[in-house]
Amino acid sequence: MDDSARRLLQRIMRRIPAQMLKPTLDKWGRLTAAQRQSMDFTESKWALTEKLLAICEENEMTVKHITELEMIHVIENPDHCMWYALQLMDPEEDVHSVELTQFKEQFKSHLRELIRHVSIKIKKHTDEAVWIRIAWGDSFSRPNHLKPTYVVHHLQTPYVFVTSLTSKLKPLLSQALVLSTRYQAIKDASLSGRKLTAIRDLLMRQYQQVFPTKYPSPLAENDQNASNILINKEQAELAASRHQKACEAFGDGMLPQLQSAVYKLETKFRDHTNKTMTEREEAFRCVVKFASTNLLESLRHCASSGIASTPGTSLLSSIPLKGRNYFVITDNSPGPSSQTRQPSN
Amino acid sequence: MERLQSSVVRTPPNSTVVQRRSKSYRQSYRSCLGAPSRLGLTPGLTARRLNSSRRALKSHVITVSHTNPSLTIFYVLLNLQRETLNGHVFYPVLFLLKEKVNPEHLALLVKTEWRLSYVTPLHQFRHTQLKRYSRQLSAFIAAEKQQGVAMEVEGSQSGFRVSFSVVQGLAATDDDAETVLIQIYSTPVFARQDEPQKSVWSGWLTCINGNPEYLESLPKGFTCLPLFGGSGAEVLTSLVKSWFQRTFDCCFGPLEINHTSLQWLAALWTNCHTESNLQHLKMIWTLPVVPPLQVTYTVNPQDAWELWMSVRKDRLERTEEEAEAGSIDIEEVVRFVQGLKSHFYRHFRLDLSAGNLNQVSTTLGSAKSSGKIKISNSRYMITTLTLLTECALLKMPI
Repeated sequence: MDDSARRLLQRIMRRIPAQMLKPTLDKWGRLTAAQRQSMDFTESKWALTEKLLAICEENEMTVKHITELEMIHVIENPDHCMWYALQLMDPEEDVHSVELTQFKEQFKSHLRELIRHVSIKIKKHTDEAVWIRIAWGDSFSRPNHLKPTYVVHHLQTPYVFVTSLTSKLKPLLSQALVLSTRYQAIKDASLSGRKLTAIRDLLMRQYQQVFPTKYPSPLAENDQNASNILINKEQAELAASRHQKACEAFGDGMLPQLQSAVYKLETKFRDHTNKTMTEREEAFRCVVKFASTNLLESLRHCASSGIASTPGTSLLSSIPLKGRNYFVITDNSPGPSSQTRQPSN
Repeated sequence: MERLQSSVVRTPPNSTVVQRRSKSYRQSYRSCLGAPSRLGLTPGLTARRLNSSRRALKSHVITVSHTNPSLTIFYVLLNLQRETLNGHVFYPVLFLLKEKVNPEHLALLVKTEWRLSYVTPLHQFRHTQLKRYSRQLSAFIAAEKQQGVAMEVEGSQSGFRVSFSVVQGLAATDDDAETVLIQIYSTPVFARQDEPQKSVWSGWLTCINGNPEYLESLPKGFTCLPLFGGSGAEVLTSLVKSWFQRTFDCCFGPLEINHTSLQWLAALWTNCHTESNLQHLKMIWTLPVVPPLQVTYTVNPQDAWELWMSVRKDRLERTEEEAEAGSIDIEEVVRFVQGLKSHFYRHFRLDLSAGNLNQVSTTLGSAKSSGKIKISNSRYMITTLTLLTECALLKMPI
C-alpha cells in the first residue's frame, strides 16, 4: 500500500466519528470476518487507525479501495461540506431517455477526453441519486485523492449539486455533465448551503408543498391557555390570519434547514422624507445577509408574529419560491411575485 | 421645536437642584441631569440622558512621527495658516499640543478588542504611586495563585510581573485624570534567560471629557476614571478588579453599549469617510424569532456617507449659527439610521426596530452591544472614548 493510500486512509479515519466506524466498515465489506473480529471498537481512534492500516496492508488494498470507504462515509453524512447547486438548461429531445448505464459511460468518457488523469467513481444511491467522486490530476501528475469533488445528480431532473470545485475545473465538469445528460447548457442556481438534504428539498420541492391558494385557517379552539379572554378574542383573529399568510408563503410543517441567504441590493434609495437621496441617480449599494440555524423557520416565524408584513410579496418568500439563496436585486429586475418557477416533473 | 428640546438638555442643571451642604453627601450624577425630566419636554422616562449633541468627530492628531517637539508646533502653525487663507474661520481643528502619546501605548490600544466595565470613583488613587501599585498587584496575584485560584494562563509556573504606566496625552480637559495603563507580563515556561516577557493581559482606566459638574462635585481624595477596558484571560481580569476594589474601595460593573451609543458610533464613523476610507459600514441585528435570525446589513461607504450628508444638509439649512455647524445632533443620527432601516423595509418588509442592534463595525473600529470595543484608528480614539466615558458615567450607580 503506497504512501498516498495510507494518508488517505488516515484522513478518512479522522473524519468518521467514532460511533459510525463499525457500521461504515461493515458496509464497506472489504474486511474478512476474522479481521472484523480483531478490531476492538472500544479502543481509541488512533489505535484503530493503526490496526486498520495493518489490515489493509495485509489485504494489499490500493487507493481505489480506500476511496470506496470515503464515498460510503460521505454519502451517509453529506452535511459537512459546502454544497452548490447547478441547473441544467435547454434539454434536447432525447433527454428523458437517458438512463443510468448510458449516463455513466458517457460521463466517464467525456471527462477523460477533457482531462487525462482523472479518477472517477460513480455510484447509485437508493433514492435515485447518482453520486460521482472525482479526483483531479493534470497532464503531469496523478489524481489528487485528498481533494476530491463530489457531484450528486438526480436523473430525470435538471439539478446537480457539487462540492469542492475550483473555478479552474468547473468548466470541465460542466462540459462533461452537459454532454452526458443531453442538455445544452448549465448554470449556477444561486443556491448553496451545508446541508445537502435541505438544498435538495428546497430545489426539488420535496418538502410539504406550498400551494399559493388559501391555506385553511387554524381552528380558534387551539389556544387553551387563555390568560385574558378579551385580549385573546381580539388578537386571535389577527394571529390566525398572520399564521395563515405565513404558511402560504413559506409552507407548513418541517422546512428544509437552510442556513443563510444573501441579497445584494443595487436599487435606488427612495424615501419621501429625504428629498436629496431620492433624487440621486446612482444606486444605493448594500449587501444583506440573513443567517439562522434554520432560516426558513425563522422567516416563517417573522411572518406569523407580525415582524414581517405582507410575507407573500416580499423578497424573502422568493427563497422557497425560486429555490435560491443568493440574489442580486436591481431596479430593472422584475418583482418577486411576478415570477414563479415552472414545477418540474 | 427640536431646537428647543436640545437646548433644554444643555441647560445648566444647577438651577433646579437643591444642594445640600453636608460633607457626606455628594451630588450624584443623576441629580446633575435632573432638569430635563422635571420639565417634562423630553420623551422617555429616564432622568439621565446621553448628550443629545456632540462635537463632530474631527481627527485629533495625537501622535506625530517626528520626535522633535518643535516640529509639532511648526506643523500646527502651518495648518492654522492654511485655514485662515481659505477663509474657514470656524473649522474646528484640534491638535493636542501637549505631550504626544507614546506610540507603543497607542499601538497596544489600537490593535486589541477591549471588554468594557464602568468603575466608581477611586479613593486615594495617586498617579505618583504607580510603582507601589505594580508591586502590590503582583504580590496579590501571586498570593491568589498560592491559594489555589485556577490559572490556565501560560507561564503560571513563573511569576507575573505587573506594570502600571500613565498614558499621557489622552486626557482632553484639565478635569480629566490621566489614563492609566496596566500590563501583566509573564515568562513562558520554557523560556531562555534573555527572552523578553510576554504580555498576557492588559487593561486601562480612563476618563475623557468627563462631565465637569460631576467631576467637580467629587469630594477630595477621589479620582474618577470611570471607563475600564481589559483584554486577556478572564481570571486575570477578575483578579485585577478585585484588587482595585479592595485597595481603592470602588466597584466594577459590566458596561453594555446600548443601541443609542451604537447608532452614535455608526454616524460618527460614517462622518469620517472622507478622511479615512471606511470600506464598509456593517451593522448586525438580531430578530427575536425562533430560531433567532441574524441580519447583517453592510452598506457601501460612499453611499452611506451620502445618506449621512443628506441628513446633515437638511439640518444645516435650518441652522443659523455657525457654531452649531461643528456639532452633530441626536436627531441626525436617528434620521440616518432610520433611513437605512426604511431602505431595508422597502425591500424585505421587515422592520429592524423589532430586533436588537448588536454590532456596528467599520475599518475605524467595531463596537458590540455586549460591551466590546475595538478602535482601529488612533485618530478617532478621543471622540470614541468620550462617548464611552459618558456611557460609563451614566451607568455608574453613584
